[in-house]
Amino acid sequence: MITARLGLRARLYLASGSILMLFAFNVATHLWGSYARSESVMAYRIATEATGLVRGIQQGLSTEHQRVQVLAALRETNAPIRATQRDQANAELASISDQLRALGGLSDVQTETAFREFYKVASDLLDEWVQFYRNYNNSALPTRLTANAYDATIDSLRTLADQQNAVALERSTVIDNTIQLTDRITIIAFVSSITITLVLILTLIRTTNASLFRLRVGVERFGAGDLTHRIDENRDAGEIANLAQTFNEMSASLQTAMSDLNEARADAEAANEAKSMFLANVSHELRTPLNAIIGYSEMLQDELGDGEDIDRDQFHHDLTTIIFSGRQLLALINDILDLSKIETGKMSVSVEPFNVAGLVVQVCDALSPLLAQNNNRLELHVDGAQDLEVESDPAKVQQILTNLFSNACKFTKNGVITVAADIRDNQIQLSVTDSGIGMTEEQQAKVFQAFVQADSKTSVNYGGTGLGLAIVSNFCDMLGGTIALTSSPGEGSRFEVSLPAAPM
Amino acid sequence: MGSSAVLLVEDNDINRDMLTRRLTRAGLTVLTAADGVSALNMMREHQPGVVLMDMTLPILDGWEATQQAKADSAISEIPIIALTAHAMAADKARAIEAGCSEYETKPIDFPILLAKIYQFLEGADT
Repeated sequence: MITARLGLRARLYLASGSILMLFAFNVATHLWGSYARSESVMAYRIATEATGLVRGIQQGLSTEHQRVQVLAALRETNAPIRATQRDQANAELASISDQLRALGGLSDVQTETAFREFYKVASDLLDEWVQFYRNYNNSALPTRLTANAYDATIDSLRTLADQQNAVALERSTVIDNTIQLTDRITIIAFVSSITITLVLILTLIRTTNASLFRLRVGVERFGAGDLTHRIDENRDAGEIANLAQTFNEMSASLQTAMSDLNEARADAEAANEAKSMFLANVSHELRTPLNAIIGYSEMLQDELGDGEDIDRDQFHHDLTTIIFSGRQLLALINDILDLSKIETGKMSVSVEPFNVAGLVVQVCDALSPLLAQNNNRLELHVDGAQDLEVESDPAKVQQILTNLFSNACKFTKNGVITVAADIRDNQIQLSVTDSGIGMTEEQQAKVFQAFVQADSKTSVNYGGTGLGLAIVSNFCDMLGGTIALTSSPGEGSRFEVSLPAAPM
Repeated sequence: MGSSAVLLVEDNDINRDMLTRRLTRAGLTVLTAADGVSALNMMREHQPGVVLMDMTLPILDGWEATQQAKADSAISEIPIIALTAHAMAADKARAIEAGCSEYETKPIDFPILLAKIYQFLEGADT
């Protein structure tokens, strides 16, 4: 349907325009019919008038002819006519002549030739008769009358009258046909106007209903939650298409809002999941050293209660184990607090200027007992960062270095630990290299995750919480830097940290 | 079956040492293993009366080792008590699902653990 592609206003305009045009057409046919009727009346009047004139002329001519015939016969007896008699005859002739002219006024193109012919013979006849009356009383003058002139004139008049009748007949036929035609057109136009108007109105109602139905179905589907549905905008134009488009836009923005909401919910769920995981891991990590502390303490209590002799060396060793586990628990709690701060976003970065070389030396000094524990040797390369101030968070850089350095000390025996600091391309470059036990690739992949140590035996053999490198990695992120690890089992590990030397 | 030995599977040296000593003091024969694979080997070789199984183990973890033990008809009858620092309700369910007969969380309540061990050992005797 064409109307389906039109807007509501366009449809209404089209329908009322069409109805008005049909109405105008009806009025026009009606006017045409009226005109034809008045034409017909006019033609009838002319025809009647012409017939009357023809009859009058014929009558006049006939009367005058008889009188002229009689007078012509009487002239031979030399009886004069009176002046009044002659004047009356002249007046009658003039009257006939007027009637001739009046008839001429009623003739048209088709009868003109016949009229001119008749007028000529009739005028000649009348002239002859005028001449006849003028010369009548003077016997010296001739009163010659042309033979057959009267008959010829009457014939000519009849011919003219016939022609006029024929023309009138023809015209009335044409006019009758026209009237018939206009009547028929008026009826047909009227009936078709009603039909077309009905069809237009029904079509308008149907298409508008269909458009509104599509809108309703679409809105219902939106309401039912199907936001991927789109109302077909191309099946309408104008206001309804605009409305469809607006609904579609509304649906699209709802869809975006819903997906944002779902995303936010998924994020919240993931965060909750992570929190539960964190809690489970914390619980697990705390229980392991506590198991040793409680277990050994209970065991020692039992041994004391036995009243047997106490192996002092064994007792001392067991107490050392309890203290080791207690310290490990403390370190664990501290690391967990740090990690919790990081994960809840409460760990803030406070940037201030400091000297990297100085910081490195300070950390290495503080951890020298740890270095000595496994008989390791330290190599320091800080010349590149000696005189330069950088802007970063010194406390975090210090903890990064402390964690990396203490790891290196723990996992290296009788080896070398190299700590280097440099500033290149506006980046603080820190590296801690050891010649310790190293890690397999599989271990390297997991080592920055919280609660993971390269080996579950690690904490027993080397101490540590499994959180140190996770904290280091998080701190590097927070400071806008990166950390890289290269290592191979038995050959040692190298951690390289790169941090921006000024806030970005 | 019917050995009164207890097989302790624990990769943490300190905890293994502590529990071995306490179980020995309580009069039990204690065998030890530090990973899932050696635990299965020890079970097949010594047919212990009960196994105390840590769940977080290297090479083959406790859940996997328990499942394999339950699938092996030679040792499937040996009761396994899960000993783990994983203390959430889901962890217990997971241990039972793997085939453990009992579940104890660390830190261990030693008298209760001992009672459970005896219950299994006596159950095997009768």
